[in-house]
Amino acid sequence: MSPSEKTRRLSSMAPGESGKVVRVSRENPDRADKLMALGVTPGAPVTVLQRFPGVVFLCDHTELAVEPAVARAIVVEIE
Amino acid sequence: MSCAQAAVRDPAADSALTLRARPRRVALVGNANVGKSVLFGRLTGQYAVVSNYPGTTVAVTTGRVVLGGEVCELIDTPGVAALDGALTEDELVARRILGEGEADLVIQVADARNLRRGLMLTSQLSAIGRSMVLVLNMIDEARVHGIAIDAAGLSARLGIPVIETVATEGRGIAELRGALGRAAVPVFEASHRGDHARLAHDLAVQYRRYRRRSAARVQERLGRLVREPVTGVPILALVLYGMYLAVGVFGAQTLVELIEGGLFERVINPAAAALVNRVLPWAVARDFLVGEYGLITMGMTYAIAIVLPVVATFFFVFGFLEDSGYIPRLAIFSDRIFRSMGLNGKAVLPMVLGLGCDTMATMTTRILGTPKERLIAVLLLALGVPCSAQLATILGILGGVSFSALVTLFAVVLMQMFLVGFLAARALPGERSEFIMELPPLRLPQLRNIVRKTLLRVRWYLGEAVPLFLIGTGLLFALSRLGALTKLTAATEPVVVSLLGLPRDASAVFIMGFLRRDYGAAGLFQMSKAGELDGVQAVVALTVMTLFVPCVANFLMMVKEQGLKAALGILGAVTVIALGTGAVLNVVLRGLDVAF
Repeated sequence: MSPSEKTRRLSSMAPGESGKVVRVSRENPDRADKLMALGVTPGAPVTVLQRFPGVVFLCDHTELAVEPAVARAIVVEIE
Repeated sequence: MSCAQAAVRDPAADSALTLRARPRRVALVGNANVGKSVLFGRLTGQYAVVSNYPGTTVAVTTGRVVLGGEVCELIDTPGVAALDGALTEDELVARRILGEGEADLVIQVADARNLRRGLMLTSQLSAIGRSMVLVLNMIDEARVHGIAIDAAGLSARLGIPVIETVATEGRGIAELRGALGRAAVPVFEASHRGDHARLAHDLAVQYRRYRRRSAARVQERLGRLVREPVTGVPILALVLYGMYLAVGVFGAQTLVELIEGGLFERVINPAAAALVNRVLPWAVARDFLVGEYGLITMGMTYAIAIVLPVVATFFFVFGFLEDSGYIPRLAIFSDRIFRSMGLNGKAVLPMVLGLGCDTMATMTTRILGTPKERLIAVLLLALGVPCSAQLATILGILGGVSFSALVTLFAVVLMQMFLVGFLAARALPGERSEFIMELPPLRLPQLRNIVRKTLLRVRWYLGEAVPLFLIGTGLLFALSRLGALTKLTAATEPVVVSLLGLPRDASAVFIMGFLRRDYGAAGLFQMSKAGELDGVQAVVALTVMTLFVPCVANFLMMVKEQGLKAALGILGAVTVIALGTGAVLNVVLRGLDVAF
């Protein structure tokens, strides 16, 4: 399996799946800054906890709730 | 540098005891919800409101503290996610303290479980170039999660003291005091300059160890139960029902019955009347104290006997919810609804806080991302969110009418809030920000903190609301004495009687409602007890009152946060909406022949 097949957007991950953040899209810089400040930076371990009614995931030891558009901007390498 | 040593190095001073133009300033800075206010309380012995959610502190609190033999000023600042990039209003408050040389020394408080985020801030602080100490707080919770940090190694690497604390228990506070003398500007290698995230990540990997899997299983399971809709919605219903039992039944009925029916009507008011009648020969003075609009028989009775018991029970229950970490989790459920109102899930915090006090909640709108969101939130708070004092009277009156009356009122108010929010989102210029929110850990609240918070808030209520109740009563008394009340009543008759279908006497109550809507509602409480209101009238009158602007203090806070023009606009819009809704509701309920 090539590395690119192992990377997915956080929005497409199922509850219980985890991985490491590869990058955060900078197409919306404010959003990227905000996520970075909350610890969503390359290398950070993430686990998706829930997808509905909002996306909830664990990043390191911080539980974060985001709307779907934000989850789409986070690219994760699945473990 | 400690305060004392700093004094020695200050060119204007030659000893630690020299008077200075201003005391040394020490700022507590850190991410949101890491325990800065607890530490502030530990160091100063002064209580700053502490809760378990980001955004409890939105303004600066200062206190005096002796550090290193010198009196210093300790500054508690709102939590920040970062020090550069897009910042919210409350983050800017903290940023200003650091930027303009306001603080001479920085104590950075970090959550030991989130070392990476803490270090990212340390890296940003080092760029500002202040001497600092790093506090790793909640080290006990970190251990429960299986995290161990090499504090000594980290301290050697950064060249600053790194102290582990459990602020709620006072552990590590003495070490922190001792370490302030060694405060320094953190050293970072040039290769990392600017890339705070990368640096923080590398340092965290190096100095943090995970031991066996965490023992925080119960917390995780509970977290899932309140978060997932299948279990979360029933839990929310249970929480609301529990609040209704505590505040609506125990507070508004049992306690009010005891204090108003028992203490005031049987003991205080007759005793006051007897005393006044014996001592004061002038009828006017007697009326002023114990007459129909008497300071004791009306003002104090409303404030102490009807509203206070409910406010106190509410603050107690609310304090429990605040400290448990439950409230921010409601944002997950409400995000979609708030998005259609030009806000996002984060707005659930000011809205729920408004149930405690709309004035405070208006200030909390600072945590929202954009000016448009803040304006909409301030408008909705003024329009629809009943504060605890208002809830007191709603529950007191409608509890006695019927449950369906209560449901009707809340349904109408919520519908209006949604409608107004929906329209405002489309009519007002600007953007909403995206929903990105940190959820605090779920915790078992400490009774001591809840009691302290409740007492602080009750004292605040007594200082803030009671004088207004008395002023309002005095005003009513004067109006009635001068015969102006009859004229005013006649003038408002088209609105009150024809439009809303209420008895003429309700006019006086509405005039009071402009001062504080709970005061107006307390008047309705008396009218309904005297049998002057039928079910429909009670619901219509209370709905209008609930939709009014909460109180004079709330209006002043709106002016402070949004400017006079916006505040006047909100006041006008809200008043029109309130009366319009009441009129429609009256026609509909009468038309459908609802009796409650």
